[in-house]
Amino acid sequence: MATGTGTTETRRLCAITFFAKLHPGDVCGSNGLPLTPNSIAILGRSQRLKELQHEHLCQYLDVVRSKHERTIVVSEYVGCTLEEHVKRQTSTSPAQMLCIFQQVASGLDVLHGHKLVVHNLEPRHILVESRAGAVHVKLFNYGMHYMTKGGAYVPFPIGNIRYMAPERLLGANDNIKSDIWAWAMLLLEQLLQTELWPKLKLSNIAWKLLAFARNANTGGVVEKIAREHQRWDRYQQLPLPVRELLERCLSVLPAQRPLPAELLQHACFAALGDHSQANVAKSSPSPSLPLPLLLRCPLAQIYHLWQLAGGDVQAELKKEGLIRSEAPILSLPQIVRLSGASVCPPRSQSHLMDERVVLLKLQPLLQRLSRLPASVYFPLLHTQRLQPQQQQQQQQLQQQQQQQELPLLIRERDIEYQFRRVRLFTRLLLGYPHTAEQLQREAAIDIPPLLRGPIWAALLGVLPNASYAKIDKFTATSTDRQIEVDIPRCHQYDELLSSPDGHRKLKRLLKAWVTAHPQYVYWQGLDSLTAPFLYLNFNNEELAFLSLYRFIPKYLQWFFLKDNSAIIKEYLSKFSQLSAFHEPLLAQHLASINFIPELFAIPWFLTMFSHVFPLHKILHLWDKLMLGDSSYPLFIGVAILKQLKSTLLSSGFNECILLFSDLPDIVMESCVIESQKMYECTPKSITHRQHALRSQPAHVLDIGLADVELRHLQAEQCPRISAKDVHQLLMQQPEQLALIDLRSVVEYGRVHVPHSINIPFATVQLGEQRLEALQVPQLEAQLRQRIVVCVSNIHQHAVEFSHFLVACGVLRTCILHKGFNVLHSIEPNILISN
Amino acid sequence: METNRTVQFIYNYKDYAGKDCEAKLDIKLPFEDESLEELVTQLLAQMDPMMRYLDEDINLEKELKSFIDREHQKFHDDYAEKLICQAANEELDLESIVRNTERLYKEELLQFADRIGPSDEDIFAQSFHRLVHSSSLEDILKRERGYAKVIADMTEHMDSEVETLKNSQQQEMDSQINQLDITTTSEDINNLLAQQYTTHNFVRKRYESELEAMMGHQKNEYRNWITSQVSQMFQVSPVSTPLGNRSSMFVSQQPSMEESFTIHLGSQLKHMHNIRILSANVTDLCSPLHADENLNGLNMALGLYSSSLCGVVVLTPSIQAQANKSIIKNANRSTEFHFDQMDVQLEKIEKQIRALNTSGTSNSLSTGSGSGSGNSAEGSATSSPIKQHVPKLKTGDFFITKHSNLSQSHVIFHLISDEPINSPSEINSRHPVILGLRSILKTASRHDITTLTIPALLRHEMSEDMTVQWCVRRAELVFKCAKGFMIESASWGGAELSTLQLLLPHDISEELFTTLAGMVPNVFRVANPKILVDNNK
Repeated sequence: MATGTGTTETRRLCAITFFAKLHPGDVCGSNGLPLTPNSIAILGRSQRLKELQHEHLCQYLDVVRSKHERTIVVSEYVGCTLEEHVKRQTSTSPAQMLCIFQQVASGLDVLHGHKLVVHNLEPRHILVESRAGAVHVKLFNYGMHYMTKGGAYVPFPIGNIRYMAPERLLGANDNIKSDIWAWAMLLLEQLLQTELWPKLKLSNIAWKLLAFARNANTGGVVEKIAREHQRWDRYQQLPLPVRELLERCLSVLPAQRPLPAELLQHACFAALGDHSQANVAKSSPSPSLPLPLLLRCPLAQIYHLWQLAGGDVQAELKKEGLIRSEAPILSLPQIVRLSGASVCPPRSQSHLMDERVVLLKLQPLLQRLSRLPASVYFPLLHTQRLQPQQQQQQQQLQQQQQQQELPLLIRERDIEYQFRRVRLFTRLLLGYPHTAEQLQREAAIDIPPLLRGPIWAALLGVLPNASYAKIDKFTATSTDRQIEVDIPRCHQYDELLSSPDGHRKLKRLLKAWVTAHPQYVYWQGLDSLTAPFLYLNFNNEELAFLSLYRFIPKYLQWFFLKDNSAIIKEYLSKFSQLSAFHEPLLAQHLASINFIPELFAIPWFLTMFSHVFPLHKILHLWDKLMLGDSSYPLFIGVAILKQLKSTLLSSGFNECILLFSDLPDIVMESCVIESQKMYECTPKSITHRQHALRSQPAHVLDIGLADVELRHLQAEQCPRISAKDVHQLLMQQPEQLALIDLRSVVEYGRVHVPHSINIPFATVQLGEQRLEALQVPQLEAQLRQRIVVCVSNIHQHAVEFSHFLVACGVLRTCILHKGFNVLHSIEPNILISN
Repeated sequence: METNRTVQFIYNYKDYAGKDCEAKLDIKLPFEDESLEELVTQLLAQMDPMMRYLDEDINLEKELKSFIDREHQKFHDDYAEKLICQAANEELDLESIVRNTERLYKEELLQFADRIGPSDEDIFAQSFHRLVHSSSLEDILKRERGYAKVIADMTEHMDSEVETLKNSQQQEMDSQINQLDITTTSEDINNLLAQQYTTHNFVRKRYESELEAMMGHQKNEYRNWITSQVSQMFQVSPVSTPLGNRSSMFVSQQPSMEESFTIHLGSQLKHMHNIRILSANVTDLCSPLHADENLNGLNMALGLYSSSLCGVVVLTPSIQAQANKSIIKNANRSTEFHFDQMDVQLEKIEKQIRALNTSGTSNSLSTGSGSGSGNSAEGSATSSPIKQHVPKLKTGDFFITKHSNLSQSHVIFHLISDEPINSPSEINSRHPVILGLRSILKTASRHDITTLTIPALLRHEMSEDMTVQWCVRRAELVFKCAKGFMIESASWGGAELSTLQLLLPHDISEELFTTLAGMVPNVFRVANPKILVDNNK
């Protein structure tokens, strides 16, 4: 995001609006699905334009789609239009004019490099800004032709007919040489100091242009125009290279016109080049007024903040009368037939293309943020920020901490808070991967939505290395058909993902992933899994791909094997165990009605919930997910069950199936908080899975890789805990632990863990499912709020007893892996004897 | 129109062993820029896989790019040249090119369009909307009520007078008949009958023209008054609506069975809608606005020019443009201040149907929908060589009337359905009536109709043949289709339907109503109640 720092003096934002063409009647695409509305297609195409950043191009910032196919384009705006500039300046020398047009040509050249054509070049779309004697020019609204696919998506014609090349009238578009014509016409108009055909009717201008085309071989377009405007003398006073250039550019045959690059090389700019360069160089080091700090930030961030500060493009357009609210009842059709024919009242003019530009005011935003110290604009990462003697700073810090306790949704809308976060993360991302650790720390607080894509990538440890370009994304494979079917069903409520460009990108990503993983297959659900990454990195496919590439092994190791049943079964069994661990009553109920996770939870985990929730919820969910390890999703699953607890407890099998067939609205914030709580209070070994990705080799006292077989997992309602975790708890948080020793009194007397509760298994009656039946005084109080570990010599005893505890509703019950004897091997010894 | 061209790209390279090789690829022009990489992949596929690791793709891409740039430019230049040559040789219809260009510019760009100021309707609509959201609201309603009273009185008067006349004529007739063959002949009776008929007609006509004159007068006066009020308002500082929209909560309604649900639609992103199932006579939803003292008038006035309109679907047979008689009668109970009187609207529609039918056979119709090519509605009424069968709409078509003086609907969709009254048939989801419903929903979404009432059985009356099973089947079909259309409507980009009312016939049994209402939560997913729990517990 490099933007020149000097070009900001009159930096402004502006908006234009137009209507996309309606699809006539009820038509379907070739795939039998309804056609995508044109406004969505425009939205998808225009994303690419946002990436264009060049000193002679106004940056595109946003495209908004509102009701009834209205499209609003927000972009940068500087200075004034060429028209106004000429009017303001009493006289502009030809050299100055050439300087302006050289910059226009260099803008055209950049666009040509991106295979874009302008086709609506006219004085209003050339913005001129004078600064310290030098002029600086930017092209404006140059993307209209591209974003509307050559005008196919809009009802109106693109381009001012006065400057239109003859071949465009005849229907030949997409040729950069047509822009060269327009460029030369504009230049000619300025140099002749006149207005081209000011009084002529549209049709007459068109005829004139066609006449040029008809007399293609005779040439002399320039002469004709000049004579027609009685400026032939003036024309002849122009320097020869200029005349020569104009005549070449206004050749009727496009082949004879130069390309933008050739244009820039032309002799008449050669002398100019140094001159203007020198001017710019002279002006930049001494700006007359210190810029507001904010204007040195990237424009995309300014626009984002402007929105947070209550900026509403639609309201601004309404204020200027560009969006007129007409009573909808007046435009109702009188008759509509099934065939699609209808009788409507005449179209109102408010639907016509109104080319006015509305400037968005930045002043309130500047004022709002002017109080903030420079250190907020440009935060320092590596100095000691906290100096106890600086009271003011400490106050600030406190305030920040208070803010961090507010609900996420409020924080995301708080402009000052977001500003701090965005600036901080911008810095951190620039320093990545060096700043990875700090980034992780800050991301744990929250992630600013504006930078979520790159932040996620950084959290996943992505380092772009251009490998994506080398992956074959195009050769047909056997999975293409399935991908083709899935894409038009993947998060289609979202405008980006439902646009043709979104479809194309998603397809490429999926194919690239499949190609890059010959050991895996495409499982349905991969599309949903990819969608959030594409959504966040729409213009950066590589980042999206690499994020996905790192995400899957982290959370879904082996899930995409052709035969993934063992992995999924293990995962779901662990999920059942964790529900029993945290929600024993609910788990008991679900087990009793035979509502097993296989029936509902596979899409949850296979897609990391991206198939069941809308994007905006997934984003918040994954914000936290990215910070946790591979077990975190399990807790999200439990948190969802927890949220639906009361409904589930009162439902039978059929109701449950119905409920989960279309998951009801889940409150994401409480789900996230809940899952985090559970994640934090659960010892790691509880979530042990054989198939999870392991970063470190197992400790001796850990649960070994192949220790627990699937059939054990399925038979045991409670998870196992490793001796290592028990030891750790015992040493560090003994108040969190309740150890139930199931061995006989004699064995217990010989050796036991301090503070453990002895309930000899042989003596208990497990028939009655009440804790009181055990006849241990105050047992419930001793178990409350603790991790309850069942320890025995005989594993089966521990299993049976743990089932009993779950049935009694005891929270956090688990079994010691390898039984009591493993405790002997802990060094130093923790056991005591009476 | 733009032709394509294919050129061959030949890439010469040395493979890892230093042998000269070449790879070829046909490239289609004009070139879509996105797929350069794809072409590189295709070329690489022709090479030894080793070449990819030798980074041959970098050079390949470079060469391919410059090749394509060159060819792409050439293609465009050639194409333009061809067109220009054609133009020079008079092979193109330049006349039509100029005409089309001019038309496009004039019809689509405000800058070039012949500016038409806003229509009278527009201005009035805006004035009214402004006024109705100001302190003058009460005055407007009072005035409307007063006007409505006059018309209602006149109608009543007419009715009673006609009734008296009828009675007296009847008496006269009776006495004459009693005297038949005594003092009168059958001829006399016939004469009398004719004479009575004329008198009767005369009286009725006189009243009707009087009514018409009165309505015209009222409308004029009302509209003038509104306009004058608005200009006054500009001078006085505006005061916001005293009642506010709070009052919209107090919708008084005819006693009927009804049940409401809040539902969520959509698989991932959920949209919330309200569903109300009720049994009522459809004419109750279109009852005269000012008949009794209620707040409906306020609601309807506030909503009239807003972007949350209320619509009702009324089924009607395909005979001409005929609307439900009692609705017409209701609409005529007071002056229609904002639109044409309903009879006039219907007349116009009928005229348009005729025009549609005469021109509709030759070309497919499209007017207004923005494609720009349509001009058929005005029609070629001049030449209809063969008189076709009576012009009429078909099942699934609908026409629309607009109202400001009915109690719960701004817009009535008259959906054509020719289902015979006494033999309930079986229909499926592809039946024209269902498709008609879909296009109504689509129209509603495009024109901001956010409350829509549809007949849930596609019937307005119960009949003996409508068995419980049939009703359940039919209701299920309509529910499911409505659900499908509502889900689909999310992508139409228009207004979201906030309330869908499912109307059951007024004479439905309570039992059947309960059964059908019970189906709603099964078909639609009812929103879960939000339960707020204290987390600190």
